Amino acid sequence: MFTEVQGPTTTAAAAVVVGPAGPRARRRPRSAWLPYLYILPAVALLLVWTYWPLVQTAGLSLQDWNLIPTKPKTFVGVEKYQKVLSLPELHQALANTVAYILAFLGISVALPVLFALLSRRVQGRARTFYQALIFVPFLVTPVATSAVWRWLFAPESGTIPAIATTLGTPMGNIFRDPDSSMLSIVVIVGWQMLGFGVLVVSAGLAGISPDYSAAASIDGASQRQITWRIVLPLLSPSLVFLALMTILLSAQWTYPIIDLVTQGGPGNSSTNIYYLLYQFGFRNFDAGLSSAAGMLFFAGFGIVAVIFVELSEKLSFHDN
Amino acid sequence: MGRLVLSQLSRSFKDVTAVDNISLVVEDGDFLVLLGPSGCGKTTLLRMIAGLLEPTSGTLELDGLDITDLPSRHRDLAMVFQSYALYPHLSVAKNLAFPLTVRRTNRHDVSRRVAEVADMVDIAHLLERKPRELSGGQRQRVAVARALVREPKAFLMDEPLSNLDAKLRTATRQELAALHRRLGATFVYVTHDQVEAMTMATKIALLNGGRLEQVGTPDELYDRPASVFAAGFMGSPATNLLDARLSSSNGAITVMAPGVEAVLWEGETPEREIVLGIRPEHLSLHAPGSVAAAPTSGAALRGVVELCENLGREQLVHCRVGAHRIGVTCPREQRWEEGAVVVLGASTEHLHLFDRATGRRLEWRAEPPLTQHAAPNEPALSV
Ligand SMILES: Nc1ncnc2c1ncn2[C@@H]1O[C@H](COP(=O)(O)OP(=O)(O)O)[C@@H](O)[C@H]1O
Ligand SMILES: [Mg+2]
Repeated sequence: MFTEVQGPTTTAAAAVVVGPAGPRARRRPRSAWLPYLYILPAVALLLVWTYWPLVQTAGLSLQDWNLIPTKPKTFVGVEKYQKVLSLPELHQALANTVAYILAFLGISVALPVLFALLSRRVQGRARTFYQALIFVPFLVTPVATSAVWRWLFAPESGTIPAIATTLGTPMGNIFRDPDSSMLSIVVIVGWQMLGFGVLVVSAGLAGISPDYSAAASIDGASQRQITWRIVLPLLSPSLVFLALMTILLSAQWTYPIIDLVTQGGPGNSSTNIYYLLYQFGFRNFDAGLSSAAGMLFFAGFGIVAVIFVELSEKLSFHDN
Repeated sequence: MGRLVLSQLSRSFKDVTAVDNISLVVEDGDFLVLLGPSGCGKTTLLRMIAGLLEPTSGTLELDGLDITDLPSRHRDLAMVFQSYALYPHLSVAKNLAFPLTVRRTNRHDVSRRVAEVADMVDIAHLLERKPRELSGGQRQRVAVARALVREPKAFLMDEPLSNLDAKLRTATRQELAALHRRLGATFVYVTHDQVEAMTMATKIALLNGGRLEQVGTPDELYDRPASVFAAGFMGSPATNLLDARLSSSNGAITVMAPGVEAVLWEGETPEREIVLGIRPEHLSLHAPGSVAAAPTSGAALRGVVELCENLGREQLVHCRVGAHRIGVTCPREQRWEEGAVVVLGASTEHLHLFDRATGRRLEWRAEPPLTQHAAPNEPALSV
C-alpha cells in the first residue's frame, strides 16, 4: 500500500506564518495618517511660500491697485491682461527673453557638451581641477559678479576696453550702448551658467557605463560614430534636463545682473520679462499689470516645462 | 582565420601588476579559456587582446600581424561583455545591426545577416524590443548574437554566463560549445568557474596573480596539474595538499609525513621537501585491520574521521591526518562514525608531487643515462 508523503505545510509551519501578521494588522489603522504627518512640513512650506502667493497673484491680476495698503482695490476683470498684451515694452521684453534663452542654451548646453567631450581624455586630479575651475563662477553671488565685470568693462580704466584700444578697436561703454548692452548681460550670466552646464553634463557622462563605448569600438565604430550614435543619445536625458533648467532659470538668473549693470536699458534694449514685471509692480506701482504679466509667464513656462518633462520621459532608458 | 600570439605581455596599474609577462599562443579554432580566481588579471588580459587597454610591455600578433598598437576597431574581433553592454537606446535589431552599419554595409545585407543570427541564437521574436524589456538570459543571447553578426577573426567573452542562474548557465554552456564547433572560430573565453572551463575549453590557460600557471587541455590540467596552485584550483571538492618529505630507502622512492607513508617506485633520490597532492576521489577508506589497508605500493594515510558531508551523489568524509584535514569521497552506503580510526589509500599513479619551495610539479624520469651532464648528486626528479 502506498501512503503519500506530506509536504512541510503542517500546523507548526502555518503557525509561524500567522504569528507576525497579527500585531502588524493591529498596528495598521494607527499608522494610516503617519505618512501625511511626515510630508506636512514640506507641504506647509510649499503652500505658504508658493501656492498661496500664486493664488493671490491671480487675484491681484484682476484688480486695479497701486500697492498702497490704505488705497482700495477695484475689480477690473481681464482689463489688465488686455493692457499688458498690448504694451510694446512687453513685446520687446519677450523678444529679448527669447534671445537670452537661445544664447544661454548655447552657453550652458552646447558649450558644456563640447567641453566635456573634449576633456574626456583628461583624467584623475587634473580633471577634477579643471571642472572646479569652470564651476566656481556659479558659486559667486550675482552682486559680486556684476561688480567685477563692471570694473573689467569700465570705459576709462577697465582691462577689457584697454586691451581693445591696444588692438585698435576702442569699445566705449558697452553697458550704455543699445547694440551691446544685451551682449554684455549674456557674457556675464553665461560666464556663471557655464559651470552649471559643465557640472550636469559631466555627471551625465559619468553615469554612462564605459562598456558601451568599449563595445562600440570593438564593433568597429570610430570615435566620431561613438560620440554621435552612442554617447550623445545616452546623454540626451541629461541634456533635456539641462535645457529645461536653462529655459526656466535663465530669466531669473539674468534679473539681478540686469538690475545691477544696465537696469534694462538703454531704452529697454537689455530688459527681460522678469525685469519688466518688477518695473510694472515696483516702479510704476501697478500691481494688477504686474500680476497679469506674471500669470501669463507662469502659464507659458508651465507649458514649456510639461513639454520637456514629456520629452525626457520618452528619451530616458533604464541603464542597467 | 584567427591565430593569436601573445608575447611577454604585461600590464600594471600604478603599483599593481595585473598581468605579468604572459606568453601564449591561441591556435586558429581553439576555444581557449582564461581561468583563474577573481582578480588574477583575466579581464585585463582580455581587454588588452581587444585593444581596450594598452599593454605596459609585450606584443600581440593576430594572424602574423602585429596588432599591439592597432586601435580596437581595426582588430576585427568581437567581444561579449560581462555586463553584455547592449546599447540601451537601440532595439535588439538595431543592436545586432550596429557592427554592420558602422562599417557601412548595405542595408539589404544588414537585414539578412541580422535575421540569420537572430535565428541562430533563437531571438527572432525579440528583435523589436529594447534591452530593458529582456530577461537576463535573453540579453545574454542578444550579446552573443551581436558578436556573431560579423565574421570576426576571434570571439572574446568575459564571463558571459556569470549573471545567469545555474540551470540556464548549464544549458547556455552547451550551446556556446556547440556554436564553437559549428563555427570553427577562435574563442577566448574568460571565467573563474572551473566547470565552465573543463566542459567548454579545448585549451585552458590557468592564471594566478597575473602569471600563467599552466596551459593545456582540460585533461592535462586535471590529470597532471603543473603546480600546487593548479592542483588546488582545479577539482571540487578540492585536492588534498600536505607537506611531506621525499627520500629513498631500500632502493625505492618514498614519501613520508606524520601519519602518511608512501612507497612509489624503484629509484634513488636525495631528500627533498615536497607537497603531496591527492584528489579526494582517488582516496579510499578502509578499517585499520582490513587487507586493503596494507598496500604494498601507493600511499597509506592513517587518520581519524572528523566529519561526513552528504554531497547527494556521494559523501565527503573529512579525516584528521597528522596536522592536516584530508577529504575523501566515497559511496554513501559506507558508514563511517565520527572518531573512527581509518586508513586512507591511494595508488601511485594518483599521487602528485610538487617541490615545496617552487610549487612546481615533480615528474619521474626513467633512470638518467650515464652520459648525462648533470652533477652526480642532481636528483633524478625534474621540475
Ligand atoms: N583600471 C584599473 N585600475 C587599477 N587597478 C586595476 C584596474 N583594473 C584592474 N585592476 C587590478 O588588476 C587586477 C586584475 O584585475 P582583473 O583583470 O579585473 O581581474 P579578473 O578579471 O581576473 O577578476 C586586480 O588586482 C585589480 O584590482
Ligand atoms: Mg574579470
